[in-house]
Amino acid sequence: MLLPNFEYIEPTTLEEALRLLSDMGGNARVIAGGTDLLVRMKLKIEKPSQLISLRKVPGLNQVIKRETHGVSIGPAVTAADLARNEFIRDKFAPLATAAGKLGAPVIRNRATIGGNLVNGRPAADFPPACMVFDAILKLKSATNEREILVGEFFRGPGETIIEPNELLVGIFMETPAPWTGGSYIKLGARKALEISMVNVAVMLTLQEPLGPIVDVKIALGAVAPTPVRAFAAEQYLMGRHPSEKVFSEAGAIGVGMCHPITDHRGTMEYRCLMIETLTSRALNLAYQNALAWKP
Amino acid sequence: MKKIIRLTVNGEPVEAAVAQNQTLVQFLREDLGLTGTKHGCGLGDCGACTVILDGKAVNSCLVLAIQANGSEVLTIEGLAENGKLHPLQQAFVDKGAIQCGFCTPGMILSAKALLEEKPNPTELEIRTALSGNLCRCTGYQKIVEAIDDAAKVMSGREES
Ligand SMILES: Cc1cc2nc3c(=O)[nH]c(=O)nc-3n(C[C@H](O)[C@H](O)[C@H](O)COP(=O)(O)OP(=O)(O)OC[C@H]3O[C@@H](n4cnc5c(N)ncnc54)[C@H](O)[C@@H]3O)c2cc1C
Ligand code: FES
Ligand code: FES
Repeated sequence: MLLPNFEYIEPTTLEEALRLLSDMGGNARVIAGGTDLLVRMKLKIEKPSQLISLRKVPGLNQVIKRETHGVSIGPAVTAADLARNEFIRDKFAPLATAAGKLGAPVIRNRATIGGNLVNGRPAADFPPACMVFDAILKLKSATNEREILVGEFFRGPGETIIEPNELLVGIFMETPAPWTGGSYIKLGARKALEISMVNVAVMLTLQEPLGPIVDVKIALGAVAPTPVRAFAAEQYLMGRHPSEKVFSEAGAIGVGMCHPITDHRGTMEYRCLMIETLTSRALNLAYQNALAWKP
Repeated sequence: MKKIIRLTVNGEPVEAAVAQNQTLVQFLREDLGLTGTKHGCGLGDCGACTVILDGKAVNSCLVLAIQANGSEVLTIEGLAENGKLHPLQQAFVDKGAIQCGFCTPGMILSAKALLEEKPNPTELEIRTALSGNLCRCTGYQKIVEAIDDAAKVMSGREES
């Protein structure tokens, strides 16, 4: 498998990277880990004339705890680094779990969160995990800057709202309230190197340890052309006291907004069953984690 | 147009002119003659091309040679010292964890990266570490056992 010809450029400042992107027009591609782009180039799906590398651009590969209650994640942070980051594991567990389930160790050492989001694959691991935290994505071009809620970023399989001259420069998330727990479940036919059949992320907040649910977010991947929030199921859960029964009802409601496909990984019917089961299982798990919350 | 890169390969400094679309596995095999690193699928699926880049196991078919500029690369050729096999290599031989051998260099390098992080891995940790490395011959069991044996030798829990 050979790569077509291209010019490889390693800008050393963010400004330079942005200027290159706007000068090159649509013919340039950003390369982060390259685990998706190089595969698509080898398969002749993409043939960019320039690759603009993020390798030497400072500050894009850091996880920074913010003064004001939250975290800022650089787009070039790898899945391996997120999976082992103590703060992310503690406060943003679904994100760390998703990171640890992406591909295999050899892939995780290169694959970045930014590349994963910009890819916009319906079954990707990071989008649902970012959606339950209402992550804010910062997009920058040579002349403009905007902030987008992750839920509004995805448009269709492989399509997002990012413009060819824009760079994803940061991912911001608020630290969840006390008594919050999260979970992430990925279902594939095998444990590694597998595109999900269904993936579910949940974040659930209790008013107090044995109190009602005051906040809950459920996001599903591989069940529709873009990752989706199960808003109806979330609404049903708000204000209710957690129980197996309530969670399985929420799972049943969750299936309502999904449009899974039939392919070699699983049939539509099987996927619907799994959405229901996994949603309620993920809710249960998030609830257990909420009970175990520590400051 | 070729570009000059400087890197360290198996402890030796290397300076070379590479094509911009050359992958690291092509560079190692075709330019440096280090054919221990195998080129299988070319798409990140099989792990035959696994090398250790700046301490991390990666698929060298999905890294550009030019991206390794300034880095340290370890391939299977760099494991033996003074003609003596590395404990992982010795354990693969002793356990019969090699059949056709095509996956072996990648398996050993993934295992080496694991043992550097976790000197006493559980069986599950070993299997997870190898999850990006496919073997069509052995059924994996002997590979897992070989790595377990090597871990014991390397951490001094057992004589080699
Ligand atoms: C064997 C294998 C297994 C895989 N398994 C999984 C899996 O289990 N789950 C999963 O979700 N994915 C999986 N993937 C896909 C891929 O590894 C991930 O999507 C990865 O996170 C992509 O990140 P990257 O840094 O490698 O992206 P790259 O390939 O570098 O880039 C991907 C795309 O994003 C753009 N881009 C990257 N960074 C930015 C930025 N900061 N701003 C603007 N655009 C940007 C690039 O131009 C390109 O179009 C797998 C891939 C392989 C080869
Ligand atoms: S050749 Fe690189 S993963 Fe198969
Ligand atoms: S020994 Fe033949 S592929 Fe593993």
